[in-house]
Amino acid sequence: MNCLDYRRLLLAGEGESREMQAHRAQCSACAQLAREHEQFEAGLRQGLEVPVPPAFEAALSDGMRSRRRRFLAAAAVALVAAGGGSFLALRRNDPLALACIQFVMMEEAKSIMMGAMPREEARAALAGTLPLESIERVGQVRHVGPCPFNGQTAYHVVLAVPQGKVTLLVMPDSGLASRQTASYEGLHAAVISLGRGSVGIVGAEGRVVESVAGALRART
Amino acid sequence: MRFEDLVRRHGADLYRYAFWLARDRQQAEDVVQEALLRAWGGFARLRDPAVAKGWMFSIVRNEFYRMKGRAAPLADVVSLDEIAAPRDEGMAALEMRDALMSLPASYAEPLALQVLGGFTCAEIAAMLGTTEGATMTRLTRARQALKRLVAPESAAERKGGRS
Repeated sequence: MNCLDYRRLLLAGEGESREMQAHRAQCSACAQLAREHEQFEAGLRQGLEVPVPPAFEAALSDGMRSRRRRFLAAAAVALVAAGGGSFLALRRNDPLALACIQFVMMEEAKSIMMGAMPREEARAALAGTLPLESIERVGQVRHVGPCPFNGQTAYHVVLAVPQGKVTLLVMPDSGLASRQTASYEGLHAAVISLGRGSVGIVGAEGRVVESVAGALRART
Repeated sequence: MRFEDLVRRHGADLYRYAFWLARDRQQAEDVVQEALLRAWGGFARLRDPAVAKGWMFSIVRNEFYRMKGRAAPLADVVSLDEIAAPRDEGMAALEMRDALMSLPASYAEPLALQVLGGFTCAEIAAMLGTTEGATMTRLTRARQALKRLVAPESAAERKGGRS
């Protein structure tokens, strides 16, 4: 086997055969490529494993009232188990905060792909709720764009803070009676009220979310 | 094996496969619900448990194309050269999903079947109605495109540095 054959088979994604292993053992360039490829494959799996939405189980439960009762009852039980108890998570979490997490899981990539607002436009849009300058004192703004969320137009902000990435959903038209929180699928969210409207904060660490929430509130 | 056990074991990956076919969460849910309903109807006639996983993935595929109102395609129709590179604003965790979203379904689908479903090239070829060689080519091109999209600079360096 030569290097070209080895690389062609590696990219096809089939398991490494004995012949491939033998080639890798005596070719340092292909061995290095294999190590890089292993990392790529881990990222590929992560990319393909889109989260199964919690509402899916609920939709199956709703379907139990239909003529398909028997099947859907069985499938709902099975999918709750497969989803790692996410149906229970729905009950424990505040709905708006959970919706913020679901946005990050399911819609964030699409929102970023739709494109960012020009800076001046973003500044004007956020001015009455959470000024862009206030956000920039908390972290580096990587993206600002409008997005449909919770029945209104919200502003999706991706923020880089020293501890990592944090997502903000600025909701100019959503007042909040009380603070909301949720934790689901390794993400944590808090929704806090602002002078006008509210903001949802989502991150991978609860303490970072709390820290950003405190900092944003202090600056408005 | 009970039908519920099959759903428990493969339900999440069936949803993910449907998502990569539809590129839409709601449509993926609809496809899987309808596919599971059909699978349940035919489960009693399934004699070999070893083929159950492939059978369910195939039902999801057929259901997706049935709901779209057309037969499942058998051949590639989109050139990977037509894909635009993503903007340099995404973070690493988002980049791969963004790149996958930009792949034509005819390339993302065999990847999903291989990585999520664990099917071999021969099995994927049978499901897609193509040859094993064509499947390997699709998988190779898909990975090459993803590498270009996710790490365009390093991919270009590698291409230029080795021949």
